[in-house]
Amino acid sequence: MTAHLNPIISDWFARKTWSPRQHQLDVLASWQAGASALLIAPTGAGKTLAGFLPTLTDLAEGKFDGLHTLYISPLKALAVDVQRNLNAPILEMGLKITAETRTGDTPASKRARQRSKPPHILLTTPEQLCLLISHPHAELFFGSLRRIVLDELHALVTSKRGELLSLALARIARLAPNLQITALSATVARPDLLRDWIARPVPDKPTHLLTASGGAPPVLEILETEQRLPWAGHSANYAHRDLYEVIKRHKTTLLFVNTRSQAEMLFQGLWAVNDDMLPIALHHGSLSVEQRRKVESAMVAGNLKAVVCTSTLDLGIDWGDVDLVVQVGAPKGSSRMLQRIGRANHRLDEPSKAVLVPSNRFEVLECEAALEAVAENHQDSEDPVSGGYDVLAQHILGMACAGPFAAEDLYDEIRHAWPYRDIERGQFDRVLDFVATGGYALRAYERYARLKPTGDGKWRVANAQVVQQYRLNIGTIIEEPMVRVRLIRPRGLKKGQSNSPIGAGGRVLGEMEEYFFGTLLPGDTFMFGGEIVAFEGMRDNEAFVSRAQASNPKIPSYMGGKFPLSTYLAERVRRIMDSPEEWKKLPEQVEMWLRLQRDISVLPKRDSLLVETFPRGAHNYLVCYPFEGRLAHQTLGMLLTRRLERERARPLGFVASEYALAIWGLGDLSALIRTNRLSLDDLFSEDMLGDDLEAWLDESALMKRTFRNCAIISGLIERRHPGKEKSGRQITMSSDLIYDVLYQHEPDHILIQATRRDAARGLLDIERLGDMLARICGHIVHQPLAQISPLAVPVMLDIGKEPIFGEGRESAMADAADELMREALGR
Amino acid sequence: MRFAGHNFEPLPSGALYWHSQRTLLVADLHFEKMASFARRGQMLPPYDTGMTLARLEADLRRTGAARLLSLGDTFHRADASSLLTNSDRMRLDAVTEMAECIWLSGNHDPAPHAIGGSCLPRLELAGLTFTHEPERGIAGLVAGHLHPAAHVYFQGRSTRRPCFVHDSRLMILPAYGASTGSLNILSPAFFGLLNWPSVEVTMLGRDRTYPVSPKRLVRG
Repeated sequence: MTAHLNPIISDWFARKTWSPRQHQLDVLASWQAGASALLIAPTGAGKTLAGFLPTLTDLAEGKFDGLHTLYISPLKALAVDVQRNLNAPILEMGLKITAETRTGDTPASKRARQRSKPPHILLTTPEQLCLLISHPHAELFFGSLRRIVLDELHALVTSKRGELLSLALARIARLAPNLQITALSATVARPDLLRDWIARPVPDKPTHLLTASGGAPPVLEILETEQRLPWAGHSANYAHRDLYEVIKRHKTTLLFVNTRSQAEMLFQGLWAVNDDMLPIALHHGSLSVEQRRKVESAMVAGNLKAVVCTSTLDLGIDWGDVDLVVQVGAPKGSSRMLQRIGRANHRLDEPSKAVLVPSNRFEVLECEAALEAVAENHQDSEDPVSGGYDVLAQHILGMACAGPFAAEDLYDEIRHAWPYRDIERGQFDRVLDFVATGGYALRAYERYARLKPTGDGKWRVANAQVVQQYRLNIGTIIEEPMVRVRLIRPRGLKKGQSNSPIGAGGRVLGEMEEYFFGTLLPGDTFMFGGEIVAFEGMRDNEAFVSRAQASNPKIPSYMGGKFPLSTYLAERVRRIMDSPEEWKKLPEQVEMWLRLQRDISVLPKRDSLLVETFPRGAHNYLVCYPFEGRLAHQTLGMLLTRRLERERARPLGFVASEYALAIWGLGDLSALIRTNRLSLDDLFSEDMLGDDLEAWLDESALMKRTFRNCAIISGLIERRHPGKEKSGRQITMSSDLIYDVLYQHEPDHILIQATRRDAARGLLDIERLGDMLARICGHIVHQPLAQISPLAVPVMLDIGKEPIFGEGRESAMADAADELMREALGR
Repeated sequence: MRFAGHNFEPLPSGALYWHSQRTLLVADLHFEKMASFARRGQMLPPYDTGMTLARLEADLRRTGAARLLSLGDTFHRADASSLLTNSDRMRLDAVTEMAECIWLSGNHDPAPHAIGGSCLPRLELAGLTFTHEPERGIAGLVAGHLHPAAHVYFQGRSTRRPCFVHDSRLMILPAYGASTGSLNILSPAFFGLLNWPSVEVTMLGRDRTYPVSPKRLVRG
């Protein structure tokens, strides 16, 4: 297979004294052989040019009218960036090729013009693509299309956006008979799945799997420190001075953290030791857009020494001369780590350099495991997700907006979307019924149907309002309800004045999840935008804060972006613990800690589950070490406390960390187990995922949160009405009520099914819990102790810092009522 | 629960039982609320009316009430009683035969309904006044309309639930309907209605109600 470079293009290469890279030529050759292609390449490999070389070649050769190539990126900003990078060579080659972006920011007049007279190359996002294919003229628009270029495909396929995109591709493949797909991806665990994913819509063409060769292996180390490593917590305060010295020695450093509150704390900490006033900036999703853009342009201009950021900078855009990546806090997964490391040094042939900074002793083990994984270039990225009914519902409505369809045809079409390849006709019909009338067994809504049958056995939209509703509710990204945060002057709060109105105005600092403010009282301090602020009050959809004098914020954290520890790294952590000969490479403090654990209790083995029980204060504790991530541990904690309650062990609460789970209660667990009144094998048996899970699900707030997303995506409830924006609070409230009503009356409804699936792999992580329970079955090691073990210390320190679950949902009310009673009795 | 010289029993369902008058008080049933979304293209489950009726049946049976007094917004829309499904209609008819029903009008349903019982704008009984919207002027007023809820915060845990809230002059009932949302009693809609130092708050639990101290309440 050889590529034929058009002379115009080879001349351009020659003028630049460049030569095309092998994988760029491979993509071209694939195209010229009539195939689709998946290119796996690291950052900095010239993926953009690889993706567009076939288009430039094809368009340079002759006159082409209409849309030729569609480029889809997960980020609007990336689409804009790629268009800029593309226009330069087009101009230099003197080609008459038009390339335009189409995003939410594109003016209406330009969109209309693009529809009637499309550019050769259109760069857009999955959501905009859905809008285009739901248009009645889609057939005309996409008829000429030859190529689709999917950028950062690895990031798309693991989410519902990927499902939506796959359905759109299935439709376009039918509209554009000459379509070939090129996908660009970072290295993933299962490239074959990704290839199948893009092959599915165009099954009659071959699909090549291309890999860009190598790049130098990254240089990776754990931060050396003389400081004491903390037992628990995520602040990494100990490392600020050492990190500052590292930053000084490099040109530009990107510091990644896992949560926004970590970003805030690290930023604050670095500035506290910034004796040389180095330009160090902060970038995360809660900051105002203007502020983020300011940081980004300063970065591109090379004016910054370091940026503290969250996953907002994980993808895409080239930030210039980053020569060091720092990961503060555990990396959580090997693929994620490799992709972040790739943000340093965008030149393929030089090694990227990265430093890992564990924020507690357990994380030292995790960082060590990540070092090994990276050295072996082991990938643990998630596989593409499949088959969400909520996303399918949205797509079906969109297809009805494009024009009447026969159910059979649409069913055949959507099975060309990889995530829906195995969906059964019966399920498809249920989703269709849901879109039409809500899909309820009690057929109450025929008269309000959104889809109606036409005379010739097809389905059409009932009226124009349905189309409008579809357009306004498109997409799968559901934001938490957010409130704007404004900075005002302190009001000098006195008791009793808290209800006085707050004046308008104040600079906007950014946005934060509404629920965070739900429990704040005026005067409470927290960190935001790199400074400590005091909560003044709420008005409408805005929160008002003032600069605070406090040196430590009262409210330590707010959530946002926590990734669970990957199964792969967890396995490695267990292995390191189980292999004392490997401890030599650990810092001495950590090695001491593990030795102590071995002397006082036992070490968790690789294939078993260690359960320790011990008394402490007025309570008895059970601590186990599954290493399956916080979400799975939370679910386990919920289910275990239910079971312990039934066994009369009187549990009171639990706390879950990434590594361990601690449950406490009144019953003497050691004695119960010793006298065989409580069996750990029964307690941890897999059947907890049956009835106990069911019983818990119907009151779980996590299910309701998951349901809310499904309800919005599927179009059951709206994000917004034309003209009047629903406040986020209203959506949350009503979706909880809908869930209660629906779950009680139709627990098998298509949306409850969708919610269950999502919860099982998302917030509840049931899949992983199930795997763990199967693995440890018959391999539980019980260690009764007279006191707390060294390994239990970190999770015990989390009690009081992390939200506590399982105390019974009414305990806050019950305690407040008791207090009132005591007051009434004068005690 | 003591209010304006009378004894009441708050039920965890959100109803208030008045023993001496054998009267069950409920507010804001909002029958057919989800169905009214369906006509605008949002196909919410058609089961909320049935759920609310089931609650009513259970409360009437348990208390043995001779009278049911609904404090307005019984239906979510004025014309909704004609759109009831057959089974819901039959159940509602059965309820109106179980007890003497008085349906006060509300802002959602100002006109009388074509259902059993009597429809009135307001009612005075045993020295108390019953109406839909709360106001400050009348002593011994029992009303609904605002869907009160309380958010209690205690030692790091918090719970938000519908609640009864009253002072010496005014009692506001929580919304009873299965499809009803709620509004925090610390929000502006409640300003000026209640004399805060003498306010008592009773929150709805799963199987019991909880009187809580107003000083434990937070917004949101």
